[in-house]
Amino acid sequence: LKKNLQNVFLNKKYTDFEIKVINPNNEKDIKIFPTHRAILMERSEYFNGLFRSKMKEEQQGFVEFNDISVQTMETILEYIYTGSLHINHNNALEILVASKKFCFEPKLTTQLVDFIR
Amino acid sequence: MSRKMILRVPKFQEPKRMEKSEAQRLWLLLKDAIVEVQHMNASTLSFEELYRSSYSLVIAKRGDILYTGLEEVNNHHTKNLLDKIAQAVDERFLIELNSQWQQYKLQQIMIHDILMYLDRMYVKEPQLKVFDLGMFKWKQNVLIHSQINDRLVRMLLGLIHMERNGEVIDGALMKSLIQMYVDVSLKEKETYKQEFEERFLLATSHFYKSESNLFITNNSCGAYLKKVEIRLIEEEARIKQYLDESTGPKLIKACEDELIANHMQTMIEMETGCRTMIQNDRFNELKLMYRLFQRVENGLVHLKNEFAGYVRNEGHKIVNQPENLKDPNALITSLIEIRNRFEKTLSQSFANNRDFINSVNTAFESFLNENDKLSESLALFIDKKLRGGFKDSNDQEIDVIMNKVILLFRFLSDKDVFKKFYEHYLAKRLLSGRSFSEDLERTMISKFKQECGNQFTSKMEGMFTDMRLSKDALDGFKNYLQTSVEMGKLPKIDMSVRVLTQGFWPTFPPHSCTLPPLLSQYCDLFTKYYCHAHTGRRIIWQTNIGTAEVTFRLPKKTHVLALSTYQMLIMLLFNDAEKLSLKQMAAGTSISFMDIQRSVKPLYSGKYKVLKRTPAVEKSKELSENDIFELNLNLKCKLHRIKFAATSQTDSEPERQHTRQRVDEDRKIEIDAAIVRIMKSRKALIHNDLIVECTKQLSSRFVPQTSMIKKRIENLIEREYLERFPDDRRRYRYLA
Repeated sequence: LKKNLQNVFLNKKYTDFEIKVINPNNEKDIKIFPTHRAILMERSEYFNGLFRSKMKEEQQGFVEFNDISVQTMETILEYIYTGSLHINHNNALEILVASKKFCFEPKLTTQLVDFIR
Repeated sequence: MSRKMILRVPKFQEPKRMEKSEAQRLWLLLKDAIVEVQHMNASTLSFEELYRSSYSLVIAKRGDILYTGLEEVNNHHTKNLLDKIAQAVDERFLIELNSQWQQYKLQQIMIHDILMYLDRMYVKEPQLKVFDLGMFKWKQNVLIHSQINDRLVRMLLGLIHMERNGEVIDGALMKSLIQMYVDVSLKEKETYKQEFEERFLLATSHFYKSESNLFITNNSCGAYLKKVEIRLIEEEARIKQYLDESTGPKLIKACEDELIANHMQTMIEMETGCRTMIQNDRFNELKLMYRLFQRVENGLVHLKNEFAGYVRNEGHKIVNQPENLKDPNALITSLIEIRNRFEKTLSQSFANNRDFINSVNTAFESFLNENDKLSESLALFIDKKLRGGFKDSNDQEIDVIMNKVILLFRFLSDKDVFKKFYEHYLAKRLLSGRSFSEDLERTMISKFKQECGNQFTSKMEGMFTDMRLSKDALDGFKNYLQTSVEMGKLPKIDMSVRVLTQGFWPTFPPHSCTLPPLLSQYCDLFTKYYCHAHTGRRIIWQTNIGTAEVTFRLPKKTHVLALSTYQMLIMLLFNDAEKLSLKQMAAGTSISFMDIQRSVKPLYSGKYKVLKRTPAVEKSKELSENDIFELNLNLKCKLHRIKFAATSQTDSEPERQHTRQRVDEDRKIEIDAAIVRIMKSRKALIHNDLIVECTKQLSSRFVPQTSMIKKRIENLIEREYLERFPDDRRRYRYLA
């Protein structure tokens, strides 16, 4: 199942929502991640609220982040799709911050804190 | 845990210190957005931007600005809404309120979504969560405001009232508005309960109180029951349609109280009520009544008592009806009939409720033992059936009747009396060869055995064994006669003898009589034969219960008369005499005068008269010693064989007395045995305890009278089984 879901993310078929990661130092530097609303909203309270409130992003079909790096976003999305999280000393802190913003399950936060220690 | 984490992470994770002006800027941004949301203009806002703003404020420990700001905005907004809604005219009021409420709820969800991070990281008890804060503000400023609350509840209750009177109302609107009370309740639906539910229940009670009072006075009980059932169904539907489910049990309880509990007595007593329904076997109405009464406390007790009372009354009538007292068959048949009828009521209306069955049984017990006729009547009823009354029934029907008999038998408190009568009639059936089927006899007995155990039927079974052994003995005797020396000298007669073990059979009062020489010779031969085969046994001839066939030669015709032994003896006297007085008959046969009377009666007053009374007198006249009889040589009868009843089928009063006496004798023995059994195990016992214990032990067979037990105790003291304690006369000691 994990493999299947990973394929869903990698194949980028039937995607209906885009996540755009903007380099805060260069607004032209944009990385686009095509994703699935159904999966995002199920896995993250943040996205659930984003879709439910029917604000601009929901209408336009994309959201823009400038407070997160492309690598972190990729790791986060892999976690969202498959449930496995690849942490190392370089990305741990940034992922921790992101996981709090996206309201992932508290268990994950605990794991990250343990790792950082 | 998150705090701890922040302490431990290196410096650069610590958020940058936020200027107050920056915090203010972010808040104003959010505030504008919230106001936009409240005006339903959310689609142009950026969720990410708003979320990030609130997130930044919380991270920078500026959650307080956000929270208090939010409270103010909500406060302001709800106050505006109040004015708007309160202005609505009555027709628009509920709709306006509802649409504002629905929008408000959606807005609060959006606000919650934007401020999610505040909710998760900043809000701590007892502060309200963002969404709850919104609900609270609505409640405080709109719902329970004096301009809204009363008006709303009044209108809601008005609509419900209309619906109860058959009008159609907007269920979805009701649901939404009533649900609003639940939604704004913070704990255990307290707002809903306080503001709405309480008043709703009160209005319900009020409505049904007046409706039920009016309806029950103008309609039959059956119609009322149906109405109640429909009302209850409607209320159940109402709960599902627009009330909170927690109201369900309370609402139903209120309805049941008003519609059922308060009118139970009336429904039982009214002219078309419970009594009439039972009387007329209105099973469906009773069933409905049972179902409804079941719902309220003690409801079934009322119904049960009423039913049991009716059963007792009906039974009482039957067992005391003069016709029934004369005719045991009619009595038992009607008892079986009402039993069937009440069983039908029990199963069709009262779901075979155990309590109901028990109280009906208690009622049966009480009226079946009202007079002592029943034991005998029941025994006679079976007697008639087993003499051929079952001829036209199939096995299944027979089984049903037998089971009913057992059922009635079960209610008898004096089972020993019944047993005596049953044995008595069984003996008669067997000896006179009138039993219709041995199989059925045995089936019946096995049913008694199942009910009361071996002891109860051992004598009855003994009788059957005797009958079989007698047949063997008789066959042996016949062989013996053929080989016997004396045989050649005697004229042949066909004699049949039955050997009855004493103890198994009811004791027949011993009557002596003189047998003709030929017969006595045969009797002596049999005695000789039998005592030879079974040493140590003694034979007592019981001639009064025998039968005989006699050839009656008339000038033109010959008949065979089937007679009792006594009748035979009387008829034989006419071989040597033309006319005989009763006195002479008694002298010639040594039969008691009473038996002579009884034996002669069928011979001259039946359908076929073999004797004539001379001079002819009125039939009804009592016989006296000096009445004279002669043979009726003009007898006209087409039958070759004429049968005469020995005595009437039912027993005469003295015989019945006799049976009773024997029962009493047996009871003495049983009571003695019970007392000794009890004292043996207890050694010492106070008088009252002994009586109680004794009654308990014997209750399966009969209900002993206390006075009788007392007498037996005295008797046992005399016989030195027991003694009184010298210092306490109320206590007895067992003497081993």
